[in-house]
Amino acid sequence: MPKAIRVHETGSADKLIWEDFDPGAPGPGEVRLKQTSIGVNFLDIYHRAGTHHMPLDPLPAIPGVEAAGVIEALGEGVTDFAEGDRVAYPITVGSYAEVRVMPTGDLVRVPDNISDDVAAAIMLKGMTTEYLLNGITQIKAGDTVLIHAAAGGVGLIACQWAKHLGATVIGTCSSDEKAELIKAQGCDHAIVYTREDFAARVKDITDGKGCRAVYDSVGKDTFMGSLASVAPYGTVACFGLASGPLPAIGFADFPMSSYVTRATVRSVTDSREALLKCSSALFDVISSGAVKPVISATYALSDAAEAHRAMEARLTTGSLVLKV
Amino acid sequence: MSQAVLLHEPGPPENFSYEDITVADPGPGEAQMRQAFSGINFIDTHFRSGLYSPGDLPAVLGREGAGVITKLGEGVTDLSVGQRAAYGSVMGSYAEIRNIDASRLVPVPDEIADDVAAAMMLKGLTAQFLVRQVRKIGKGDTILIQAVAGGVGLILCQWAKHLGATVIGTVSSAEKAAIAKTKGCDHVILYEDVDFVEAVLDLTGGRGADAVYDAVGVKTFEGSMAATAEFGTVAHYGAPSGPIPPEVFGKLPRDRFLIRPTLPGFSAKRENLLAMADDLFAVVKSGGVSIEINQRFALKDVALAHVALESRRTTGSTVLEI
Repeated sequence: MPKAIRVHETGSADKLIWEDFDPGAPGPGEVRLKQTSIGVNFLDIYHRAGTHHMPLDPLPAIPGVEAAGVIEALGEGVTDFAEGDRVAYPITVGSYAEVRVMPTGDLVRVPDNISDDVAAAIMLKGMTTEYLLNGITQIKAGDTVLIHAAAGGVGLIACQWAKHLGATVIGTCSSDEKAELIKAQGCDHAIVYTREDFAARVKDITDGKGCRAVYDSVGKDTFMGSLASVAPYGTVACFGLASGPLPAIGFADFPMSSYVTRATVRSVTDSREALLKCSSALFDVISSGAVKPVISATYALSDAAEAHRAMEARLTTGSLVLKV
Repeated sequence: MSQAVLLHEPGPPENFSYEDITVADPGPGEAQMRQAFSGINFIDTHFRSGLYSPGDLPAVLGREGAGVITKLGEGVTDLSVGQRAAYGSVMGSYAEIRNIDASRLVPVPDEIADDVAAAMMLKGLTAQFLVRQVRKIGKGDTILIQAVAGGVGLILCQWAKHLGATVIGTVSSAEKAAIAKTKGCDHVILYEDVDFVEAVLDLTGGRGADAVYDAVGVKTFEGSMAATAEFGTVAHYGAPSGPIPPEVFGKLPRDRFLIRPTLPGFSAKRENLLAMADDLFAVVKSGGVSIEINQRFALKDVALAHVALESRRTTGSTVLEI
């Protein structure tokens, strides 16, 4: 019998249980995947903890949303994929498993030059970045952008990609070690926000103009400063709440000519066409070498709880991958 | 000596008093105007009531006007005495003669009358950034205008139609619905009778509107967010029904753009102000937008104008004749 990490009740990392499970046979329009590499995301922690109105339901459930692997069985009516195809997916709950059954509509083929580990490390984080930079804000050369949690999974991809697009990149992070890392990954200015007032620094760096785009996945601790850091006609994109829900925003807190949006990659992944287009743009920028994924640690799938603990303690950088 | 309407203390409309004042010579960077008309806007009632601070008291309220430049202060080089000029969003228009920061004055073309200029500077420039900058409205767009029969609403409606959009508007009465229809509003919703969110979703095949313009505020804002299409823009540019509670902004719609645009924000640079005014004058001259002055009051009767605005009996623009 294959094994998976399952959550029987929501809570701390201790609630991630390594156990046997029956993945079942693929139904119509589904395939069975032998998974090789599984991405870890902050979203998985929300799911596991049952916070942010994102419960896993029904329990027991397999957390995780992103992985790469090989198709080993086809359900009825599946014609667009074949046994042996290397595939990956960005956001379908149930990825912390050796084997899984899932609909083909969520899958994309992985190019030969991209390894399973890299695919697992970039699908959600890289597609989120593509959507933020090219979809929500359409960054061009000469723009200045602010990336919070720049040493994180999305952060390191976003730093490199924004730099590749010709932007001036300002990144925030929580330690001096991380500041060195983000500078090496394309950040022109690194701000240790636990020590410095990042909004004041952004003002200095941009001569008071602010940034054309602010990407905020931290939420509670950074959002008000993000609103203060955006330039006229610029956009604050909130795409995560790592530090907690957004504070109450008053009328006067809003910038006078800037946009605020809550961005989710769902807009891309809900459409097959958009999913293929976004993933293909991602594979292109990886293949060209412009963005080099940083896998800072790999864990055995059975040790998923350790990966969660490290991420919650803000000890990690870049992407974490679970190996089957 | 000249006449002005002074507010000695925030409160009800009867707190206005019509008095003689002495206006000093314009200071550096200022111009002095003899005003022909002052515009009057809902936001004026917030400064009068004290919801927004009117600044030092006694205060002269009013935020748009038109007239002739009579004196120039030191260092003003791009305007001349005798020139017709207008402005929006600069406090102090309920007066015969006033000094004003010259960088906020826009020369008025011959084809635009003083009353029209006074009636449209704040509302027309607001409409300009809403349909031309906040989102570039064009063919194929469907937009929702809350309170479409209001001053900004009717300008927005005509301008968006002129640009090729489909316009859905909400109003509070059948009478206002009729006015909105004469200005090209494709679908008028009586929002006190009908759930406007459902109506908009029905009209757009479930998609929502590409842009939603809301200056009504707390009564409509959550619905406005719900009526916005994915990747659409919801612009909150005023709050006559009261400020929106902070927690509402926390319910940021997913993949919708929320903006709280203001005229000072969009016109802070003089070059932007002049370009926006050119754009507005051009669409008015072309006939694409006509400015409806439906209420006229004498300057001394400004209190009556405020009563009319607050009882929501006005449509289109209101001016004070000076």
